[in-house]
Amino acid sequence: MSYGGHDDDHHHDHQHSHWGPHDWNHGHGGAPHNSWAPIMLAFGSSIFLLGFTKVFTQTWDDNADIWTYAIHSSQIGLLIAGLAIFFAGLTVFWRQDWSHDGSHEPKSEGTPFRTIDIRKVAVWMFLMSEMMVFSSLFSTYLRYRTGFDNCEALFESGLFVEGQQCWLPASYFIAEGGYHQEHAHAALGFMPDTLIPGAINTFALIISSYTIVLALKTAKDASLSDAERNSKVGKYLLSTLALATLFLIFKMVEWFIGFNVGHGEDALFHSPSLLADGFTIHASEYTYCHEWDHHGGEDHAGACAAGASAIFDIRMSASTFYVTTGTHGVHVFGGMVALFYMVIKAFRGGYTPQNAVSIEYFGLYWHFVDLVWVLVFPAFYLY
Amino acid sequence: MGEHGHDGHHTILGFDRYKFNFWILMIFTAIEVVAVALTFSMRDAVSMGTVVFILVAVGIVKGVGIAAIFMHLQGDDDSRVLTATALFPVFFIVVMVLFIGLTHPDAADTLPDWCRPGFYT
Repeated sequence: MSYGGHDDDHHHDHQHSHWGPHDWNHGHGGAPHNSWAPIMLAFGSSIFLLGFTKVFTQTWDDNADIWTYAIHSSQIGLLIAGLAIFFAGLTVFWRQDWSHDGSHEPKSEGTPFRTIDIRKVAVWMFLMSEMMVFSSLFSTYLRYRTGFDNCEALFESGLFVEGQQCWLPASYFIAEGGYHQEHAHAALGFMPDTLIPGAINTFALIISSYTIVLALKTAKDASLSDAERNSKVGKYLLSTLALATLFLIFKMVEWFIGFNVGHGEDALFHSPSLLADGFTIHASEYTYCHEWDHHGGEDHAGACAAGASAIFDIRMSASTFYVTTGTHGVHVFGGMVALFYMVIKAFRGGYTPQNAVSIEYFGLYWHFVDLVWVLVFPAFYLY
Repeated sequence: MGEHGHDGHHTILGFDRYKFNFWILMIFTAIEVVAVALTFSMRDAVSMGTVVFILVAVGIVKGVGIAAIFMHLQGDDDSRVLTATALFPVFFIVVMVLFIGLTHPDAADTLPDWCRPGFYT
């Protein structure tokens, strides 16, 4: 089946192809033939991640007594090769999914999943592996958070040396006003401006979870005309894509850009980025300020109070924050890529009551991404 | 709490269960943000312990809402077996959190002799 145009490959392709579009209504009792897509996607991901570790490295410089960070451009070919294989696999997968009209939905035969759709079981298996990924990130977070001294407590104890490793949580910068503390800019009064992007993102993900549910409900609704259904499903999926895009934009704002509305003292909103605040994976000599004097400094523009600062190494807390929230962000981006395809398919009439479960199976992944954020947000942003 | 509506679709307290769940999630997220905001605006009045309790409670409610309603782990024919499937990794998660996550980073250096390399020789 072709949606919104001719699928030339399909017309002369009733033979088995592991690369091209599936012929869901022909062959062995309607059963689809095998596909190279999964192995290509897995292989491409592996090559990409291997390349990632080769390109971005960190080494200890004995002479300078510091960590040095390097980007090895000579290894960047691995990254590109991994991405190319991954997207080739994705193309194969989409070519085969494009023709899926729900006429044949393979069922699982083994215990305990007998009679459940194979695709549904596969998605749950995938989600189980994803749980393990995020569990390892959370156990790392717990291990170091409970093992390291808190920088604020360490400073108050007075028992520290300059450059000592300690834990300064991301919430210090995001939810507690950073080094400005109670003097931090708070346009809404009850919370610092730095918390706004994370809070908006949390609501955006929940709303996107609901829009994907609405897309599924609408696709299943046989009482609607095809044109009405196509339009509504497409719009709900497009809304989900827009909310996911909003999420990543605010993530970039929070990490790298910051935001200002207005200028100087009269600014309505003022939220420096985490990068501008010095919360980076390189922060081995972060200047921690325990008490901020709002009118201090030579120009009376504000400065750390006398004797209230110390140099701390906060790379571990920054690394766990960026790796965990970054991994989640990558999952959001992956969902966006899938949503982009689904929006096109929906507007071309690709989702009907017969194959609406395809939206449900993507929805399982998307709700999982939301579920992870339910844990990440309080653990990293608020506490 | 859940019951079938006239169209065979699940409802909660007479409301569409997806819409009901959505608004519960929105309300609890608002509670979450406000609880943390209070530690900022009422710095000495609200203890961190109270905030952590609220965050954990809200997180559990939101997590169950998403998994049970949105991910269909409640109410479908295959919900039970898929719930068991989803809970399977919990064993490994418990191992990781309890035996790795909550150990001290220096734990490997302070293990008793009988538990360190070379003891068996």
